[in-house]
Amino acid sequence: MILPLLADALGQFFRPDTLVNVFVDGLSKAAIYAMIALGLTLVFGLLGVLNFAHGSLTMIGAYLGGLVMVLVVGSATGDVARLAAFFFALVFVFAALAALGGLMEVGLIRELYDRPPVYQILLTFGLTLILDELTRIAVTFYGLQPVAKWQDALGTKPAFMATSVHVGGVDLSPLSLFEIALGAVVVLGVWLFLTRTRYGLVIRAGSEDDEMTAALGIDVHRVFTVVFALGSGLAGIAGVLLMWDQVWGASLPLAQQTLLPAFVVVIVGGLGTFRGTVVAALLVGMVDATMTWWFQNAVSFAGLPQMMIFLVLVVTLVVRPQGLFGIAEVGDH
Amino acid sequence: MADETGRDWVRQYAREHVVHLVVVALLGLYPFFYDAITHSIVGAEATTVLPQMETMVAVFYFGLFAMSFDFISGYTGYLSFGHAIFYGTGAYFVVLVSNGKIPLLGAGTPFMVSLVLAGLLAVVIALLVGSISFRLSGVYFAMITLGVSQVAYVFIRGWDFVSSNPKDGAAVVGHPTGFNIGVPWVDSLNLAIGPLVGDELSLAWIHLGTTQVSYYLVGLVVLACYLVMQRLIHSPFGKVMVAIRENEERAEAVGYEPYRYKLAAFAVSGFFAAIAGGLFAGFRRSVAPENSMYFLVTGDALLSSIIGGFGTLAGPLYGRLFDETLREFLSKEGAGGGLLPYLQGHVPGGVMDAVIYNGLTVGEAINTFLNGHASLYIGVVFVVFVLYVPGGLLGTIRGRAGGPLAKRVGRLLGGDGE
Repeated sequence: MILPLLADALGQFFRPDTLVNVFVDGLSKAAIYAMIALGLTLVFGLLGVLNFAHGSLTMIGAYLGGLVMVLVVGSATGDVARLAAFFFALVFVFAALAALGGLMEVGLIRELYDRPPVYQILLTFGLTLILDELTRIAVTFYGLQPVAKWQDALGTKPAFMATSVHVGGVDLSPLSLFEIALGAVVVLGVWLFLTRTRYGLVIRAGSEDDEMTAALGIDVHRVFTVVFALGSGLAGIAGVLLMWDQVWGASLPLAQQTLLPAFVVVIVGGLGTFRGTVVAALLVGMVDATMTWWFQNAVSFAGLPQMMIFLVLVVTLVVRPQGLFGIAEVGDH
Repeated sequence: MADETGRDWVRQYAREHVVHLVVVALLGLYPFFYDAITHSIVGAEATTVLPQMETMVAVFYFGLFAMSFDFISGYTGYLSFGHAIFYGTGAYFVVLVSNGKIPLLGAGTPFMVSLVLAGLLAVVIALLVGSISFRLSGVYFAMITLGVSQVAYVFIRGWDFVSSNPKDGAAVVGHPTGFNIGVPWVDSLNLAIGPLVGDELSLAWIHLGTTQVSYYLVGLVVLACYLVMQRLIHSPFGKVMVAIRENEERAEAVGYEPYRYKLAAFAVSGFFAAIAGGLFAGFRRSVAPENSMYFLVTGDALLSSIIGGFGTLAGPLYGRLFDETLREFLSKEGAGGGLLPYLQGHVPGGVMDAVIYNGLTVGEAINTFLNGHASLYIGVVFVVFVLYVPGGLLGTIRGRAGGPLAKRVGRLLGGDGE
């Protein structure tokens, strides 16, 4: 009974149009995973802090971005104006969350650099409780459902993104393409910043050896603050993107929904390596897309994609504990 | 001569447990104290501030889970961020046994037996998970345990063997009477737990309601588990655990094999976490993925451990007491008394309806910023503790006293205190 069904499903899966669909879906998921994990990996690489509050920052970014969109966009607003508003929201949220992140680093996280890494996990875990609960208070105060997706914000995307187009036997959703493009731009931007600017050089030097960098006359503590702010800002713009996505949407559980995959991506790639994070995001995105297809077409187990993502984490840690591109010593205590 | 030293040992042992006796006595008297004070002239205030009996039962079983988390994380320094897998295993196992879904075990299997079996199942899982995880350390160890427990969480959420709607968990349906705690197969030495289906007890002039009986029974199991863990911590085995936390290379150089000790400690901690989960499911008579297997359940244990004292075995229980008391005080429903019902009953309506700012009344402000938002204040306390009180409540007291409290008091009573 099972075998012919499986063979049938395999045959369907390996049809060219299915493969292209899954591939595009995987790319768009990878773009999202890269965006939610990039900030986390930058912060870990330099500061050695595994930021549990990262998902909460993404969630706050989604709400703030949604707020800007809902305020700016009316039902009569055209598609181009909506896109312009979106980019304004990106800039606004990046600035707001970078400021919040900077404050958190200076006020709280700085106290803990001398303690074992476990304490930074503890502190940032405490921060998620505070940030989540404050957001819950704000959201319920304005009469929104904290757990359900924010429909008003979902409705502010341009009309053409809400539909899907059929090109040569393949269903393409403009939103997915937009996500891929934005993800690519952000990854490229961070990469250029790290490799082509003097500040990026300082960050890379600090990740390599912060004491040596400080000895060369660079104010490493200020670099720490800047990188934490940058990481928080990146978390925020990932949230702005997710606010438009039907699968995610702005809601309180978004904090945990993004934190866990971000951890998986960062650890699978190798803690603190930029290249590893991008590759791992692609890997996890593809696994997710493939498993989503299998769930929708052949396997009746709803948790399949999620379970496979965590299995990728477990298997990676068993086979190659330092991650794909990681160095063995990083992250040990 | 041998007799002499033997008696010395007993005396010292007894002295070192004086603190435990005092705490147990205080907890044992609490139901009577609560009953008396809530019916006295300050009854309304006491109901508002003090945790009710049902909350105290939760303090016990979750406190045990937090202790087991602390047993591995606080004493060996390996942060077990997926500890909820053991709690969930215990809870689900008990429910599934009672629904007759576990082969060879009927729905009538005594609760105590299924508790122990749940613990043993958790030991097996701990050995499997530990054998791959303990090759890693630091952040990686925390992440691999988190990963495994999330796999289990997603799995149990979608496994329709558990119940017809696994997303919402499973309830006890095959075991209409309360779960018995006592000596298995001896009816007269058993009492049932549960707020609704548990036993009541009348002895002479004392009458105990179902929740009070559950309080004593669950408390008794937790006490026994605590004493076993406490014994292990103060044994040579426990010393090696602390040595691993302080300096693993040195512990290895001295000749101990850290891997074995870590694995054994993990198994012990998994066992008691499953017992805690079983007690939880036995008392509540249902279990859901979100309140058993989810990683935030581990987070709650972490909160209790840090506030109570990381690396002190009893600390997490006090941490949980603080946590639950604050949650009850700020609860939205106001069950068991809390801030909101108290204010509604005792503050004139005019004050509650007074406008503070922009149409926001006092009552609405309390509703918006306080009720149901205990997490916020617990988070703030938690962050303050991480930053400024890294030892937690018990750890700080221990630091002042210069050693574990039970030992210090024991020594003082023995007359050789400084």
